[in-house]
Amino acid sequence: MSGAWLPQIVLRAASTLVSSGRRADWMEEWLSELWYIPRRKALRFCFGAFRDAWWLRRHDADCRRRRPFLESPLACLAFLAAVAVMGCCVVLSVPGPGRGPWPAHFALRDIPAGCSTTLLLSVFMLPAIAPLGPRPTYRYATSFACRLRRGAFFALKVALAQPILFCLLMVWVWIAPFAPFAPFFLFAGCLMTLRWILADQSRRCPVCLRRLGNPVRIGAPSQTFLAWYGDESICSRGHGLLQDPEISASYSARQWLDLDASWRAFHSEPAGVRQP
Amino acid sequence: MILQAIGAGYIYGYTVMEATGLPSGTVYPALRRLEREQLIRSQWERQAIADAALRPPRKYFKLTADGGTALETSRQRYPLLAKLEPKQEVHKA
Repeated sequence: MSGAWLPQIVLRAASTLVSSGRRADWMEEWLSELWYIPRRKALRFCFGAFRDAWWLRRHDADCRRRRPFLESPLACLAFLAAVAVMGCCVVLSVPGPGRGPWPAHFALRDIPAGCSTTLLLSVFMLPAIAPLGPRPTYRYATSFACRLRRGAFFALKVALAQPILFCLLMVWVWIAPFAPFAPFFLFAGCLMTLRWILADQSRRCPVCLRRLGNPVRIGAPSQTFLAWYGDESICSRGHGLLQDPEISASYSARQWLDLDASWRAFHSEPAGVRQP
Repeated sequence: MILQAIGAGYIYGYTVMEATGLPSGTVYPALRRLEREQLIRSQWERQAIADAALRPPRKYFKLTADGGTALETSRQRYPLLAKLEPKQEVHKA
């Protein structure tokens, strides 16, 4: 089977699903099996690797111990910036609608104007979406610096989302003549993007802005009149716990519990110290 | 079927696929699951043997005692499984 490059590319693509610690072994195993497969069956054989890799990912202890997606605030901003750049590239590389206020081809200087339009749209949509996602109520007040950092982080995320929304808007303008349902996709896309920003913000530690992880189940629905039940997530640096009841009630609101410095010794990654 | 195939002497992934007629996306995850449940165990062939045969090393599977018991139970429940016989020489690791 040597020389068959396409099946090997498929295997490489599937290997990205496997945890890095097991990837080399997994790849060796599949390449060894691929050697026996007749060329005409090789591609179909390799597509099965996705299912195997996915199974391994779901059941691999390494993967289950993984940190939450985009845990670090910088990673989150970098991800949004990358998607924003991709959105800008899409808008700049394809011809514009060329009708109404839209030019026949977008230039770089048109992007800020387009983003301003979507920012206006976001300003109207955000207050409507905000009540859909519960915000943590902080039992202990965080410092002004923490609140400022949270605000700046949120503003940056909203700003980086604008090129993405602009790209969605352009897609809508392009396909609107052919697809009467296009406005729904635009609306759903905007809604999901802004909803994700809000949800992400509410799942972050108010002190270090890292995404909370290691959720544990607390209580049981049968005890709803005796105590709250829901999930409790913890900051990986030991700043506190977010208690998220499944049913909000007067005695069980979503709340953040600050942990003082004495708790940080119990965490694998104490504040200010990065484990290798 | 996969336990029966391994028990019948189809002891590496490709031959299990050939014997059972199942696609790769079914056989390999199933082999991992059986191994996790300790019904089979795997062992890589020695590199020297593979080099001598001018091919990559194979990962061989073998039934464990629990796997043998599970296979026997399955055979009693599904007698047609016993018709799956080895078609080729079994390679030893």
